[in-house]
Amino acid sequence: MKRNYELNRLWIALLVAVFLLPLSVSAMEMDDCLGCHGYADEVGEELFIDADKFTPTVHAEMGCVTCHESVTDEHPYDGEAVSSADCLDCHEELGNQYIATAHAENAVCSDCHNPHQVYGIEAVSGPEMNKQCSQCHEDADVMASHAEWLPQASLHIAKLPCITCHTSAESYEIILNITQKQEKEEGLTGYRFSSYADLKKYSGEKEVQRVIDIDADNHISLAELRTFNRNPAYSDLHLSGTMVPNEVSHDLSTLDNRYDCTFCHASGPGSMQTSFLSFPTEGGTYRRMTVDEGAMLDTLYGTPNFYMTGSTRSAALNIIGLIIICAGFIMPIGHGTLRFLTRKNRQH
Amino acid sequence: MAEEHQDQIYLQPIPVRIWHWLNAFGIVTLTVSGAQIRFPDYITWLGSYKSAIYLHNTAGFVVAISFSLWFFYYTFVARTMANLYVPKVDDFKSGILKQVKFYFLTYFLGWENPHHPTPDSKFNPMQKSVYLAIMFVMMPLVSLSGIFLTNVDPLRGLIVMVGGLKLLAGLHFLLACCLIAFIPTHVYLATLGRTPTDHIKTMWTGWEDEEEGHKKEPEGSTPTVSS
Repeated sequence: MKRNYELNRLWIALLVAVFLLPLSVSAMEMDDCLGCHGYADEVGEELFIDADKFTPTVHAEMGCVTCHESVTDEHPYDGEAVSSADCLDCHEELGNQYIATAHAENAVCSDCHNPHQVYGIEAVSGPEMNKQCSQCHEDADVMASHAEWLPQASLHIAKLPCITCHTSAESYEIILNITQKQEKEEGLTGYRFSSYADLKKYSGEKEVQRVIDIDADNHISLAELRTFNRNPAYSDLHLSGTMVPNEVSHDLSTLDNRYDCTFCHASGPGSMQTSFLSFPTEGGTYRRMTVDEGAMLDTLYGTPNFYMTGSTRSAALNIIGLIIICAGFIMPIGHGTLRFLTRKNRQH
Repeated sequence: MAEEHQDQIYLQPIPVRIWHWLNAFGIVTLTVSGAQIRFPDYITWLGSYKSAIYLHNTAGFVVAISFSLWFFYYTFVARTMANLYVPKVDDFKSGILKQVKFYFLTYFLGWENPHHPTPDSKFNPMQKSVYLAIMFVMMPLVSLSGIFLTNVDPLRGLIVMVGGLKLLAGLHFLLACCLIAFIPTHVYLATLGRTPTDHIKTMWTGWEDEEEGHKKEPEGSTPTVSS
């Protein structure tokens, strides 16, 4: 019995060692690597890794040597070139999807994705996503080619990430971002996404999401949205909504139904129920929080600046409108009936 | 010409008639295309959503241009805008009541309309009040909200200032419903002339038959022809 107990203890100790050892090694190694590569003046711009942007990524969790496995303890004095993993080693499905597109002839993975700054779709804002596309696709060309067929082309291009339409994802969801008036010294008019520092001015000691998520339950209720929208202290802030695909795809083709306006504009209140609020984080990424269903359809205070013709119409306003139009028939029908009944009085 | 229009009064000059029919055609087009834009899952009368939007924007432009024509003509050419469209103190004191009494009571008893249109006083006190609200409040507001909705990005700051895109779209929709509601009433009231088509013909030809006992001698430049 005692022998069994000792054997069990040995097994557990071994298991703990197996699980913890790589973590401790990789953590150590990442610190070692960033000790030099975290400073541009030591390694040069090309080999510089921005620790603030790298640390929150999934790639950082895996540790540097997972991809750069040939690196030795003697690096860089061993004179050996450091190997880099192939993206497809891990991202086989997405990679193969991409290789089948015309894009693959013109750009490799790292032309769009910096492997040391990779974030999930939920952690990147729409304009940030579009920066990758505009490296090759000139803004003027994009505008001209869309304006040929797309009504309000500039509004669509300004508000939507390119991959909302240029994707094989079948469905979409709504993301709300906090935006604010541009300062005069920024040289532009209009609104821009609020940064973490901007929101910190409003939230003070509290976390930035508390600007809206008052009860800190990591969920935005309709009542919290209303309170935010009505609060005069936040008059310079407003929520800007956009559509993003509900899944990541690297098949950048455009499905035929995207050329049909009603794919988005008539998808009905059902698809408008799911939305998220995206808050900036200290590390420069974004964090999503779920929002009450129906916030997109609330007439006045839920999301006053998110309106998509055909999709976010208010049922209450439809009923009021119908009553008004019906009232217009009271005179012809009521007066007309009495006119017909009293027609003899006017025969002179 | 004079012989042809004896016992007639030239009530609707050409610019007014052009504006009226452009406006009428525009508003019907806006109603149909607007219905498809708001309810694309139920209404597909104009084919694609895109064509409904282009048609709506074009019709909105036509209505705004014809509105300008109307405004320019009455303010600067005929100079009768205030006289025609702004109710006077007397209209409020007794005119509106008298007219309501006629439409809803004495008309059925066979009495005569207390108001007799002339080029300088085309509208009865009730019409004046309604047209004042339509032409000076609803039409400018519906056009302005339409202009905002077609230029969301450049006018974002102003839109946020007035309460948001949703409020603006809601206002545009409800104002449009009010204007649509006016159409059946307007068309019906137009049939209350001596014959059902009398007033409608006037809006096409410009000439209206003078009523017995209300013929006037021509005066000054008023193109009234009477015996």
